[in-house]
Amino acid sequence: MPTSMPDDYYRLLHDLQAVDFVLVELTLYLDTHPTDEEAVKQFNHYSSERKKLKKQIERSYGPLQQYGNSYSATDKWNWSDGPWPWQV
Amino acid sequence: MKRMKEYTPYHSPNDPCPPIGKKYYSTPPQLYIPFQPANLPQYSPKEALAKGTLWPAFYDYYDNPYRQRGN
Repeated sequence: MPTSMPDDYYRLLHDLQAVDFVLVELTLYLDTHPTDEEAVKQFNHYSSERKKLKKQIERSYGPLQQYGNSYSATDKWNWSDGPWPWQV
Repeated sequence: MKRMKEYTPYHSPNDPCPPIGKKYYSTPPQLYIPFQPANLPQYSPKEALAKGTLWPAFYDYYDNPYRQRGN
């Protein structure tokens, strides 16, 4: 277990958190405005943005989620390498 | 300091306790927007995360009205 994480780790997680929040807001908005194409376009944009961000984070800091939502390292089952969510 | 609406409850002469004075209540923006229109201006993701909403029209932060006014 590393004793400290680089600043980049926190910056990327902050970006991920911001994108996730936008996706939550847009999901709730689109539930009541299904035909708002502008919002749907924005939702898809942020959704692909999140996928890229997740890939970037997981490439250097290990899986974010479990049960197939994230790839594991090929050489080792490494889901418990990084700090736990409450330790971040 | 956030502008909040207020009222003064009736204080009966038979009431042993001191009068409460002014009481404040909040009327957030969603009370005045029945159906959210499309293409409202938005915050940036980071600012939206900090402020708790994607749309400035619905921004409603808490401000303790009893602290500054001392009563």
